[in-house]
Amino acid sequence: MSGHQPPHKELPEASSTPATKGITRRGFLKGAGITAAGTALLDGVHGLQQEAHGATTRDVKEYGPEAFPVTLNINGTEHALHVEPRTTLAEALRNGLGMTGTKISCDRGVCSSCTVWLDKMPVNSCMTLAVDAIGHRITTIEGLSTDSEVHPVQAAFVRHDAMQCGFCTPGMVMSCAALIERNPHPTEADVRVAISGNLCRCGTYPKVFAATLDAAGQHASKA
Amino acid sequence: MATHTSHSIPDALLSAAADTTDASMRTATMPIGIPGFTLREEQRTMPASEPPVWPINKDLSYVGKPQERWDGAAKAAGRARYTADVQLPGMLYARFVNSTVPHAKVLSIDTSAAESYPGVKSVHVIEKLLGGAVLRDPALEQSRYPLVRYVGQPIAAVAATTPQAAEDALAKIKVTYETLPFVVDMNLAREQNAPLVFPGAADQAGTAGGGGSASGIPQTGNVHGPAVHKQGDAEQGFKEADVIVDAHYTTQVQTHSALETHGVVADWKPDLLTVYASTQGTASVREELAAYFQLPMSKVRVITEFMGGGFGAKFGAGNPGVVAATLSRKAGAPVRLMLDRQEEHLSVGNRPSSDQRLRIGAKKDGTITAIQLISFGTAGCGTGAGCAGPASNLYKWATLHVEENDVFINAGPAAAFRAPGHPQGAFALEQSIDELAARLNMDSLDLRDRIDENPVRRVQRQIIRDSAIWKSRNPRANADAGPIKRGIGLSQSIWYRHLTMDSAAEVRVHKDGSVEVLSAVQDIGSGIKTVLAQILAEQFGVPPAQVEVKIGDTNYPVGPNSGGSVTTASLTPAVRDAAWQAAQKFLASVAPALGARASDLTLTDGMVRSASGKFQPISFRSAAAKMDTNQVSAQSKRIPDYDPKKYDTYGGVDVAEVAVDTETGRIHVKHVLAVHDCGRPMNPTGVISQINGGVIQGISYTLFEHRLIDPNYGIMVNSNLDKYKIAGSYEVPKIEVQLTESYIGQSSTDASGIGEAAGIISAGAAIANAFYNATGVRIRQLPMTPAVVLAALNQPQPQMEAL
Amino acid sequence: MNSFSLADCSTVEAALSQLKNGAVVKAGGVDLLDRMKNGTDTPDRLVNIRNIRELRGVQATPDGLTLGALTTLAEIADHPTIRAQYTILSDACGRAATPHIRNVATIGGNVLQELQCWYFRSAEFQCIRKGKDQCFAFSGLNQYHAIMDYGGCPSVAPSSGAVALLALNATIELTSAAKGKRTVAIKDFYVQPDANPHRFNVKADDELLTAIHIPKTAPGTRSAYQKYGEKESHDWAIADAGILLEMDGEVCRRAVVTMGAASPVVRRSTEAEAVLTGKPITRDTARAAGQASMTGAMPLSMNGYKVQLFPTAIYRTILLAAGQMERDPSAAG
Repeated sequence: MSGHQPPHKELPEASSTPATKGITRRGFLKGAGITAAGTALLDGVHGLQQEAHGATTRDVKEYGPEAFPVTLNINGTEHALHVEPRTTLAEALRNGLGMTGTKISCDRGVCSSCTVWLDKMPVNSCMTLAVDAIGHRITTIEGLSTDSEVHPVQAAFVRHDAMQCGFCTPGMVMSCAALIERNPHPTEADVRVAISGNLCRCGTYPKVFAATLDAAGQHASKA
Repeated sequence: MATHTSHSIPDALLSAAADTTDASMRTATMPIGIPGFTLREEQRTMPASEPPVWPINKDLSYVGKPQERWDGAAKAAGRARYTADVQLPGMLYARFVNSTVPHAKVLSIDTSAAESYPGVKSVHVIEKLLGGAVLRDPALEQSRYPLVRYVGQPIAAVAATTPQAAEDALAKIKVTYETLPFVVDMNLAREQNAPLVFPGAADQAGTAGGGGSASGIPQTGNVHGPAVHKQGDAEQGFKEADVIVDAHYTTQVQTHSALETHGVVADWKPDLLTVYASTQGTASVREELAAYFQLPMSKVRVITEFMGGGFGAKFGAGNPGVVAATLSRKAGAPVRLMLDRQEEHLSVGNRPSSDQRLRIGAKKDGTITAIQLISFGTAGCGTGAGCAGPASNLYKWATLHVEENDVFINAGPAAAFRAPGHPQGAFALEQSIDELAARLNMDSLDLRDRIDENPVRRVQRQIIRDSAIWKSRNPRANADAGPIKRGIGLSQSIWYRHLTMDSAAEVRVHKDGSVEVLSAVQDIGSGIKTVLAQILAEQFGVPPAQVEVKIGDTNYPVGPNSGGSVTTASLTPAVRDAAWQAAQKFLASVAPALGARASDLTLTDGMVRSASGKFQPISFRSAAAKMDTNQVSAQSKRIPDYDPKKYDTYGGVDVAEVAVDTETGRIHVKHVLAVHDCGRPMNPTGVISQINGGVIQGISYTLFEHRLIDPNYGIMVNSNLDKYKIAGSYEVPKIEVQLTESYIGQSSTDASGIGEAAGIISAGAAIANAFYNATGVRIRQLPMTPAVVLAALNQPQPQMEAL
Repeated sequence: MNSFSLADCSTVEAALSQLKNGAVVKAGGVDLLDRMKNGTDTPDRLVNIRNIRELRGVQATPDGLTLGALTTLAEIADHPTIRAQYTILSDACGRAATPHIRNVATIGGNVLQELQCWYFRSAEFQCIRKGKDQCFAFSGLNQYHAIMDYGGCPSVAPSSGAVALLALNATIELTSAAKGKRTVAIKDFYVQPDANPHRFNVKADDELLTAIHIPKTAPGTRSAYQKYGEKESHDWAIADAGILLEMDGEVCRRAVVTMGAASPVVRRSTEAEAVLTGKPITRDTARAAGQASMTGAMPLSMNGYKVQLFPTAIYRTILLAAGQMERDPSAAG
C-alpha cells in the first residue's frame, strides 16, 4: 500500500491554460483526479469558477465533493482508500478500512469514544475530517500494541477490570496511554484531566484511574 | 413474591413455575446467611440430579475469587466486535426519516426522489410502529400511517450503498403532516382541556425488560390510572399515627444514553434471517422478529457478540430491527441500521418522571401505621411510570394505599431503565424515612432496624454503623459554618429475586481436554462470560481463561434476556448443572480406559480420582485423552429455586458524603460507601465494577441528567451528549464497596444479581439526605442542579418539631 | 453532514483568494462540524486553513504577545510565558471544552465560534440569529441563557478565550485580499444582537482572522479566569469570570472584570471594577465587586440562579487572582 500517489494535484496555473478564463470545470475535474461521472453533481457547486491568482493557486489543493482516493498513514502503514471531503477520520477508519476499534458514540467530540492519536496527540476522530489526517501519523487502538508487546495501559485495563460494556474502552485506553506517553508519572488528578472528555456510561472511571496509575508504575493509593 | 406494585417487571419474569415433577428428590444441607455475621446451615430439598452443594466462596477455587474479565483483552485492544462494527459483504447503510413535529397525522409520504437517488437500494415507509401504548379501540384512529405522537418518531427509512448516500437520500423524502395540538408538560397534560395524546384509552404491554402496565386501568384524558393497591385501611392507619410525614417529590426524565446506540445489521436470506443486534436479549429479538414477520423461530438467528450498554432499553427488535430486516428483504442485501445520538435520546426509551405525594404515619416507637403514595409520572406516549416499589416493599407497614398514574405526553415512550421505578420511589421514601427519624428523635439507622425486616440489610446497617465514614457524621444538621458544608446521609435499596426459567446452556468436553459452554445469553457488560468460565473452571479444574465461552447467539440453547438482574441468578445454576452432568458423562467415558467403574470416579480440583484407590490421581487433561468418544456434552435448564417462598427480595445500603457549596449550588459527592447483597458473589471483581457503575450513574441522575423538551414546539433541545449532561471523570467520588456475601440456599450456585440494586436506586436519596445533613434543608426535586439547590437554600425552611 | 468541496490552503494568500461565493473557513473544525452535523450550516465549499503554518504559534513582541490564529487552545494553555504573565488566558484556554478538543481547536476558532444556544444549534428552529424574526428562548427553555444586555437574543457569549482577551485588551487582526490587514479592538469586535442580529462580529466574509495581539501587562498585574458549569468535567459555562488586577503593593490600581455567560457579547463590569479600584483586595471588597457586577441584571424565566452565581464566581476569581484563594473546586477542572 505504501508509495501510493497523493491523490490531489495542484491546480494548474492560469498561465498554463491561457485559452481559458480561470479554471475550467474540465480542468478542475482533471486536476482533482475525478472522472467525468462526477460532472452532474458538480454542476451545483459554486466557487469552482475561481479566478486564478498566479502563484497562490499553487498553495491550494482541491478535494471533492465527490469521493477521491487518499493515502493515510495509520499505525505505521500507508493505507489507500476513497473518502469524500465530509468523511470524518472515524468514518474512514471504520467504514473505509474496517478498523472498527475506534468507536463513534456522540459523534460531536464530547464523549471521546473515537479517540485516536494524530502525531501522538489524542484527538476526536469524529470531529476530524479524513483529509485533515493526510500527512499525519495516525495511531488507533489497533496499533497501540505490537505483536510482541501489549501496551501497559491495555494490560492494566484488563488487570483492573477497567471496563464493563467496553464501548468506551478503546477511547479511554487511547486517552490514558497518551497521558502516560507525555507524563510517565501522573497523579490521579492528571488521569481525571486526561479523560475529562471521555464518557463511560457504565461508570467504570474508578478502575480507569487505578489502571492508568498502575500502568504508569504507580500505586493508586498514593494519588 | 413481594407485594410490590411497580408494574415494571412482566409476569414472565416473575413466575418461577414450580415444576418439580422429578420424582427423585434429595435433601442436602446448605450454607445460609452471611459469613462473619449470620452463617448457619439449613436443609433444602432438591432434585437428586443436582450437583453437590457448593461451600461458601472461601472454600472454592475459582468461583467467588476475583477474576479478570474473560473478554477483557479483546475489549482493551479494540478487537471486540459490536453490532456497529459488523461489516458484511455488500452491506447497505440505513437511516431513518423521523418526525419533526410532536403530534400529527401523516398525510403523505413521497419517497420517489429518494428511491431514484444514486446508491439507494431500498426505501421503506413504516405502516406499523412498535413501541408506546396502543389504543384499546383502534377504530378511534383511522390513518394509513401511524399517528405521529412525538418528535423523532420514525416514519420511513432508506438503505444505500454508503452512509453518505443514505443521509443525502433522507432529505429527498417529503412528508406532509396535518399537525395536531400537543402537550409535552406532564402537569399541563393532566389538566382537563389538555390536548389528548390518544383519542381514547391506550395501554402498553410490558416487554422483557419491563415497561408497560397492567391492563384494565382506567383512563381519563391523558391520565392512565390510577392503578390502585390497598392493604388495610390507610386512613385508619394515619389516625393511629403519632407522627405523619407528608411530602411532595418530583423527579425528571432520564435517558439511557448507552454509548452504543440501538441498532442492528439484518441479513434477510430466503432460508434464514440473521440479525446482529445491540440487545439485552437475543431471545427477545428473535421472538419479536419471528412474530412480526410470521417466520418460524427456527428461521431467525440473532447474534450479539458484544454490546455497548443497554440499561434496560434494549429488548426486542424494535423499530430498528423490523425496519432493517424489511429493507434487507427488499434490497436483497444485508443492512446496517444504527441510530444516531439524537434518535437514541428521542425514540428508544427513557426513565419516566415522577411527581409523588408520599405520606407516612408512624407510632412514637417508629412502627409504621400507614403509607400512602399517590404518584404521577410520564412515560411519554407509553406507560410504565409507576414508582411504588420501594414504598410498598422496603419496610413493614400496617396499612398501605398506593395509586400510580401514567400521564401521556407527546414524547418518546419510556423503556425499562435500571431498577424501573425504584430510583424515583426511593428518592421519596428514603428521604421521608429520614425525616420521620428526625421527627421521632431517632437515629436513622435505629429506625430502619425497627421497620426493615430484611436480615441482610440489618447486617449491612451494622457494617455502616461500624464504618469510618458513618462515624465521622455529625448527627446535627447544618453544623458547618463556611459556605462549603459537609454532610453524610444514607439510603437503602430493594430489588426482587426475579428468575427467567428459559435459561439454558450446553457444556461440552472434548477429547483434547478443552471445555466449552454455549448459551444464547448475551453479555451486556456485566461480565456473564467471565462467570460462566469460572463455573466450568470450578468443575473441571481448568483456569477460566482456558474455558471457551460461546454466547450471544440464538443457535445456542436459550438464554435469559438480561433485565431486572436476572441473568446470573437464572443462568448460572443451569450452567453448573450442565457442567456437572457433562463431568459425569466424561467420567463414564473415561472409566473403561481407566479400568474403573464410573461410580468409582470423581473429578475434583482438576484431577480424576478413584475412590477405591485403583489408580493414582491423573489430571483432567490426561484423562480426557482416554475418552471413548470425541466429545461429551450435557444441556441443562434452570430449575425452580429450592425454596421459592424464601428470600424474594434483597438490596443494599449506600452512604454518601457530600460537600455542598452553598454559594454556587454545586453538590460535590466526595465519598460513597456501598454495602450490597448479590447472594453468592460469583466474580467479586465484576460485581464491584457494576456497583461502582450504579453509584456513578445514580450520581449522574441525581445531579445532572435531564431530558429537556421545549414546551412550545415539543422538541428536545438537549438531544446530544454535551447539553444532556452525564457524569464524567471529575464527578466520580471515592467509592468503597463492601459485599455482604449472602447465602440463601436456593440453587446450585446460590447467586443473585446486582445490576438494579447497585447504587442507582439509593444514590438520589443518599445524596439528598447528606444534603440535609449538610445544610438542614430538604431538597425534594431532581436533578439537583445549581438552580434547584440555590432555590432550595433560599426557601425559608419550616422548622420541624421533634416529638 | 452535507456534501461539499474543500480547498485546502497552505498560505494566507491562497486562503484569501478562496473567500468568495459563500465559501466557509474551517480551521480546527470543531465548531463548524458540529453545526454542519446538526444541519444548521450547509456550506457547499470549505476553505481549509488548518494547514497554514504561518498562522501558528505564540510570538513575544516588544509590545506584548502575538497569537497566530491557528495556535491551539492546548498550546496557549501550556505556554510558559502565557501561564506566568497572562494567566487569565491560559486559564481560559485550558478550561475550554475537553482536552482532545483543545488539541485541535484554535484560538481564532474559539473567538469566532458561534452561539451555543440550543435553539440556534438546532436545524428545527429558525431564529433571529439565523435571519428570521423570532427568538425561541424567551418563552422557551432559557436556564443557560443571558441575564444582561441581551436585547432580542439572550444567548450567551460562547468563547471563554474572549473573556480573557477582553480583560487583556487584545486586538484582532483581520486580513483580506482586497484591503490587506486591519486591527479591531476585541471590545469592538463582537456585534450586539440588537445592533445587528444576523452578525456576530465585524469580520467581513472576505476577511480572515489571522492573529491576536495582546499588549504587555502593566507591572504588578495578576489575573485569573474561572468557569462554572453544572459539572466540572466538560460543560458549558453557566457563569464565568475573568479578573485582571494591576496592583500597587496591597492596593489595586486598576481592575478589569469580564464575563461571558452573562450576555450575548463578552462584557466588562465597570461597576465591579469601580469597587476594586484604589482599594486593597480583601474578601469584603471582592464580595462587594461580585455584587456590583449584577447591576442591571434582568434574569429570564428560568435563570434567576445566575444572578446569585455570578457574584460568587467573580469574588472567588478575584481572590484567586490576588493569590488569596485556591482554584475553586466548584469551577471547571
